[in-house]
Amino acid sequence: MELILIPLALGLISFLIPKKSIRIVGLLAGLIPAGVAIMHACSFKGGEVNLFGPWLDFGYGLTFHFSYDGLGLAMILLTNLLVPVILLSNYNSPVSESKAFHAMLFFMQCGLLGVFTSADGILFYVFWEFTLIPIFLIILWFGSGTNKGLLKFFVYTLFGSLGMLLSFIALGAQAESFDYADLIAVQLDSQFAFWIAMGFLLAFAIKIPLFPFHTWQPDTYSGAPMAGTMLLSALMLKMALFGMIKWMIPLTWEGLDDYKYIILILAVIGILYGGIIAIKQNDIKKIFAFSSISHLGLIVAGIVLFTHDALVGSTIQLINHSLLSIGVFMVAEILESRLKTRNIREMGGIAKLAPKFGFWFAVIAFTAVSIPFTAGFIGEFIILKEVTSFNFYVGIMSATTLVFGAVYMLRSYQVSMFGNPTLTSFEDLKWNEWLTFALLVGAMVFFGFYPKMITDLVGPSIDTILQTLK
Amino acid sequence: MEAIIVLFTTGLISMFLGAFNKPKLVVLLAVLGLGFAAYVQHFPLHFLPEKYNLLSFEGNGNAFVGLALFLTAMVILAGFSYFKADEGHTGDFVSLLLFSVSGAVILVGFKDMFMFFLGVEILSIPLYVLVGSKKKNVLSSEAAIKYFFTGAFATSLMLFGIALIYGASGSFKLDEIYFGLQIAGYSPMLYVGVTMLLASMLFKVGAFPFHFWVADVYEGSPNIFMGYMASVVKLVMSFAFVKLFTGVFEGISPFWTDILAVSIVVSMFIGNLSALRQTRFKRLMAFSSITNSAYVLLAVLSNDPTNIKAIYVFLLGYGASVVAMVIISLMLDDESDELANYKGIGYKNPIVGIVATIALLSMAGIPPLTGFIGKVMLFSSVYENYLWLVGLALLNSAIGVYFYVRMIMNILSKDDTEIKTLSFDWLQYAALIICGVVVAGGWSIMACWH
Repeated sequence: MELILIPLALGLISFLIPKKSIRIVGLLAGLIPAGVAIMHACSFKGGEVNLFGPWLDFGYGLTFHFSYDGLGLAMILLTNLLVPVILLSNYNSPVSESKAFHAMLFFMQCGLLGVFTSADGILFYVFWEFTLIPIFLIILWFGSGTNKGLLKFFVYTLFGSLGMLLSFIALGAQAESFDYADLIAVQLDSQFAFWIAMGFLLAFAIKIPLFPFHTWQPDTYSGAPMAGTMLLSALMLKMALFGMIKWMIPLTWEGLDDYKYIILILAVIGILYGGIIAIKQNDIKKIFAFSSISHLGLIVAGIVLFTHDALVGSTIQLINHSLLSIGVFMVAEILESRLKTRNIREMGGIAKLAPKFGFWFAVIAFTAVSIPFTAGFIGEFIILKEVTSFNFYVGIMSATTLVFGAVYMLRSYQVSMFGNPTLTSFEDLKWNEWLTFALLVGAMVFFGFYPKMITDLVGPSIDTILQTLK
Repeated sequence: MEAIIVLFTTGLISMFLGAFNKPKLVVLLAVLGLGFAAYVQHFPLHFLPEKYNLLSFEGNGNAFVGLALFLTAMVILAGFSYFKADEGHTGDFVSLLLFSVSGAVILVGFKDMFMFFLGVEILSIPLYVLVGSKKKNVLSSEAAIKYFFTGAFATSLMLFGIALIYGASGSFKLDEIYFGLQIAGYSPMLYVGVTMLLASMLFKVGAFPFHFWVADVYEGSPNIFMGYMASVVKLVMSFAFVKLFTGVFEGISPFWTDILAVSIVVSMFIGNLSALRQTRFKRLMAFSSITNSAYVLLAVLSNDPTNIKAIYVFLLGYGASVVAMVIISLMLDDESDELANYKGIGYKNPIVGIVATIALLSMAGIPPLTGFIGKVMLFSSVYENYLWLVGLALLNSAIGVYFYVRMIMNILSKDDTEIKTLSFDWLQYAALIICGVVVAGGWSIMACWH
């Protein structure tokens, strides 16, 4: 239980810290939940760890129950370790001087941990929605976009979530309670399961975002402050992927054969569409936003196949994408804050002026195109192997993500960093910036050499999920 | 019964105390009186013989009375700045509110149609006066006239309905009507009577097709009495609605559920779609109250008296949110009532910002606030028979989010040009914080029932 309460307490305490020292105190405070998560990981022996409850039967089948399995623990570790990295990457930006920013970040962390640990349908929904409020306030207070775009983001994602709520209510009416085990135990006929899954899909597809539901994303990403974009892409949309693995597919297992193809087609369209649009963009944040759509399409394709290997591959790729997206959006922010433009056509020759930045951007670009010995390679390779063995043509189409990825990543690198210098000076990386890059790249390369760490953690849990369904 | 006597006495005392031009004294006395009334309601003295007792608060009646008294206390605290501005009339305002809330108590506890009618009238008549209490304001006078005439019309329909029901069943007592109908059968007279009663109830809660008065009356009436109408009146009317229709007329439910379902769907859309384009606070609240009435009526549709708990939780959240917003509007003290004037007040005054955010998010149905829990309970109560209706209600929740969140964005805006200053008074401030806490954590009351 302390997992969730510590960030909440930190969020409240942030309001009391004097403004002068909030930056360093916030960064150090961010390490506390990380330490707690590592302690949980050290004492984890597989299986299901019950954190709290089931407690307080409120009537109406609502329970208060928190637990996590290996997959949940992987997400907890990801969240708690990335929050200090996000704080570190923002150390020199103006947002880090604000108490409200730190408070919202910790509230966000609390919500995310709640999502990853709740073992009750309505509780999951509660935390799922709760995360929307801190991110909304971060974008409102620190973002540069229009209020209209923000409103679109809020209403859009909330609308999707209500589909999930409807599904939970419909499922809960048949189950004894909203507890995870009770919801799993419900036997549905395949048509009903299909519609339940569509309700979940509406919520998850908007958050991920899958192809026709992505229209909020580029505007929101380009209008949000760097921290907001990082939270959105590195942590918030992972809730949706986690939700698909842990909630949507196990709960509607009976209808999976019917909706598998719908999601697979949308995912493949997303891969192609995101990749192609990213090649044509000149706005650096939009390039990365569309590339995100392309990468996530592949992860979703892996999840929906729902085999052991595909799920493990998806989890590795999911973790890799979180690390990667922090890196690329940091690159975008460095360029934008120093040049006051996001248009890569107006840049050029930066590598000469700022060699350190040129080096780290190159490393990030290479990890983004998944060269061997990075986690991206392992993840994409496993997913593509599974997709190809499912259907050869789908596999071929999904594999284009590698080609497109190389094109847009290297193009944006080349156009912005090489060529004739149009600028006279470009401030090189500050200490917190290169440290962030080094941590991220270090983690990605580590998992590229030693993915067993992730597979050992999530593999048994995935087996358990698969076995209970069969 | 004792609670009504306490309330009435307190009302009389505060009316005379008003002559001393001490608004703070009157307000505090009224709040004490409300607290004492809640106490004797929950721990009755039983000094009347049972056979003279025309009220019964079985089931959740006591909880509803408690909530109505609590919300009234908050409204009275909230209105302090309004009372202070017109010291000579503080006693009148407070005593009329207290008389009105004693009608609310009757409306929760009624056992026969006479008491029901009495409750409705005692609740409404002081309100006709209060709505028009800004005598020099044209809108206020217009609202009072409109409210009075349409209200009188609804009352006449109600009386006619009661008379026809009496003709069909041979009794005024609710349980005798219920059993009498099972013996005598369902005559056409009953159907006409129930339709008329339904129409008048829809009028009182402000649902389609009798919603047209809501916007004008809310806009014209002083903010504080708007808050009272949207919270207390809605609460007890919904309770009476459930008591009559799911309790007494359950036998002919296929007849009235269809009418009610249509009313709910249209009310939800009218309320929300009209609220989208509003630029004034009170009109926004009026249209959102139409939608929220429609959500409450879902519990009547489900035809299960236990769903009264869902109404309780939902209206606990909604009522406290409305009162919180009313307090903020009174602190702003802005005659023009434009939403644009709320800009940035929340960023400058963090407590106001937090409470406003909580209140509006609760109305929009964002977890883990009380409004959300109430909504889930309401929707799951009707899920089995009316899945399509739940779907439409969820769609409407999403539409509603648009204007609530737009208002939050306005209030929390960081842009610091021309922010209005708020006038603070500790009574209002206390009420604001209490309302905020209730909205955030009021749902935990569910644990007490189990």
